[in-house]
Amino acid sequence: MKGAEKIDIDRRYCKGCMLCKYVCPSDVYELGQERSDLDYLMPRVAKIENCKVCGLCELHCPDMALTVIGREKGKEKA
Amino acid sequence: MNPIGEKYLRKAFLPFIFCPGCGDGMIVQALARAVDELGVRDDLALTAGIGCSAWIAVYTHADVLKVLHGRAIPAAIGLKATKPSRKIVTITGDGDCLAIGGNHLLHACRRNIDMTVVMVNNQIYAMTGGQVAPSTPFTGKTQTTPYGNVEKKLDGCRVAIACGATFVSRWSTAHPKQLIKTLKKAISHKGFSYVEIISQCPVQTGRYLLGSGSPQFNLQWIKDHCVKQEDPAKWPEVEAQGNIPIGDFLQTEQPEFMEEVVKMNQRVKEAQAKGGDR
Amino acid sequence: MKKGRIKVMLGNEACAEAAILAGCRFYGGYPITPATEILETLSRRLPLVDGLCMQFEDEIAALVAVVGASWGGTKAMTATSGPGFCLMQEGIGLAVAVEAPCVIVNVQRGGPCSGQSTSTAQGDLYQARYGSNGDYSLICLAPSDAQEMFDHTIKAFNLAERFRIPVIILSDEVVGHIREKVFIPETKDIKLVERKAPTCDPKDFIVFKPDENEIPLMPNFNTGYRTPVISQAKSLNGNRGNAKEADDNIRRIVRKIEDYMDEFADVQVYGDPKAETAFVTFGSVCRAARSAVDMGKEKGIALRSVEVKTVWPFPDKLVRNALAGAKRIVVAEMNLGMIQREVERVVRQPEIKIELFSKIGGIYPQPQEFLRFLEEKR
Repeated sequence: MKGAEKIDIDRRYCKGCMLCKYVCPSDVYELGQERSDLDYLMPRVAKIENCKVCGLCELHCPDMALTVIGREKGKEKA
Repeated sequence: MNPIGEKYLRKAFLPFIFCPGCGDGMIVQALARAVDELGVRDDLALTAGIGCSAWIAVYTHADVLKVLHGRAIPAAIGLKATKPSRKIVTITGDGDCLAIGGNHLLHACRRNIDMTVVMVNNQIYAMTGGQVAPSTPFTGKTQTTPYGNVEKKLDGCRVAIACGATFVSRWSTAHPKQLIKTLKKAISHKGFSYVEIISQCPVQTGRYLLGSGSPQFNLQWIKDHCVKQEDPAKWPEVEAQGNIPIGDFLQTEQPEFMEEVVKMNQRVKEAQAKGGDR
Repeated sequence: MKKGRIKVMLGNEACAEAAILAGCRFYGGYPITPATEILETLSRRLPLVDGLCMQFEDEIAALVAVVGASWGGTKAMTATSGPGFCLMQEGIGLAVAVEAPCVIVNVQRGGPCSGQSTSTAQGDLYQARYGSNGDYSLICLAPSDAQEMFDHTIKAFNLAERFRIPVIILSDEVVGHIREKVFIPETKDIKLVERKAPTCDPKDFIVFKPDENEIPLMPNFNTGYRTPVISQAKSLNGNRGNAKEADDNIRRIVRKIEDYMDEFADVQVYGDPKAETAFVTFGSVCRAARSAVDMGKEKGIALRSVEVKTVWPFPDKLVRNALAGAKRIVVAEMNLGMIQREVERVVRQPEIKIELFSKIGGIYPQPQEFLRFLEEKR
């Protein structure tokens, strides 16, 4: 079954712009409590089960800090 | 970091200096994906001028020549002339390209040199703090038009078409998939390609011109105000609504500059060998 | 006796021929009197050697394209005169900052501004050295005849490649437009210098890390090095530098030239090297001064003319040595006193006033005027 195994948010580069939450059509993200290395509040993957591996968040992240790893075949959706 | 970033970013220079939510980072990714899908990385040479968008070129792990404000296009011509097989992509901004660099844009279009100009349009001079640009709308309030802009804005796509560019498109950071497709076409096109990208600048354009510094607001603004209209004759209708026409507007084949140079050199050398002059 | 051929040519044509022989294969230019012949000659000659001669929309584009061509792996040149030289100051700063070898010819004409397009002058001396913004250094040669237009152009390309800098050839309308014999050596006798490229693994290469003689290796684009070349003050890896890195970068690009002047500085002395009266000249004025020295000799007046061939960086030591023993020093130049200041700075003997024989308005000084100056201003 298609879905996301994991969503990696790279704390080295995330600037907390929350565009991932904004573009996500499946309500996966919410604003988190943790800060990135650049001291911005990071998004949190709240509902990974909703993720359809559409890749929009990865495509829109202005810092290329997001990687969505699809469960299907264990490959990354590039 | 996502896999495309792992492959294409100049890691030693990270993190991006771009503000949170800035469209420039999205363009780095779009360009990297286009180059990757085309498989032209080894032939890629980038030039850039001055401004936030110029750093798009530097963060891309390729050969980059970042020159003076407005002079990215002449630098690109020098690189192209010395090895025509290079895939030259010039990253420039609305000020860099239409103001100080306007003359160079005009003539590069006219010459139809095989290169791609990626013009990142955030409707303002962002790097220096939010001054008016040739692309700032009439009445817009910026740091140098505090009482409202009394100048009409210049449309880079109209300029490119009028000056002889053979590939002209405009997309936005709110349309990344179409943008990647168009970048691939532009880079593959044999001739002068002009790709304008409406890009969000939450900190300057957002706060001064649009009323909000939120990245989401600014990206939504772009999505709402960019309307697909690929027939230039119908642009005035779109613009009358306060919107920006986007799409793939033009693609034609015309004699390309370097090809003409090579043909001329050949012809002249042959004539000279026969004892003639030209 | 060196083998070669002799051709009667314009100074400007000699410069263009030398450029081709030096390996120049890209020329970006713009028409301007009295330098246009260089552009026109190369527009005919470069296609025959698979080069490209482009007339740009302005001098700004011309020089930036030359810098692009240089990083593209090609020897490149441009030529202009005063007003165009003003526009090129930005580009000179660029060539300095990105350490791009290139040659820029300024065939000086009357200034300021549009000045006198068809008349000679030497008013751009300081601009050649200080016209661009910030701290930097470069090399500037001053040919005085068509032969030197040829020789200095070869030298300029070699110095540009050796030091990775823009080299200015500060000519003037007399030298550009004179038509006389030029000896062109056989190609095999012309020694050329090429920039040094890295051979190491690209991931070990640090783009602005100095190699020998404080000069970093210069990779050609699209050979796998993926080099970041920016116009800002930079750190070794090519990113924008912090204060210390910017300091180091700026000092190195000055030192890389000025600590090695012995390699290229050139001052010649014509006439009696022990004469008590010495002229100091550069460019076309050297020739009038030589005739004046000869005239003086006929009249029993001992004279020497110190000819500064490499005007920047100013060759302090060589000029001081060439003027040793002189009791009267007359600087002759076609401006209101520029190289005079350098001579004053260098000589520093309070009992000797550095006199100025100045000619502006576009009229070339006659040899007898030198002698009249010596007489009248005694």
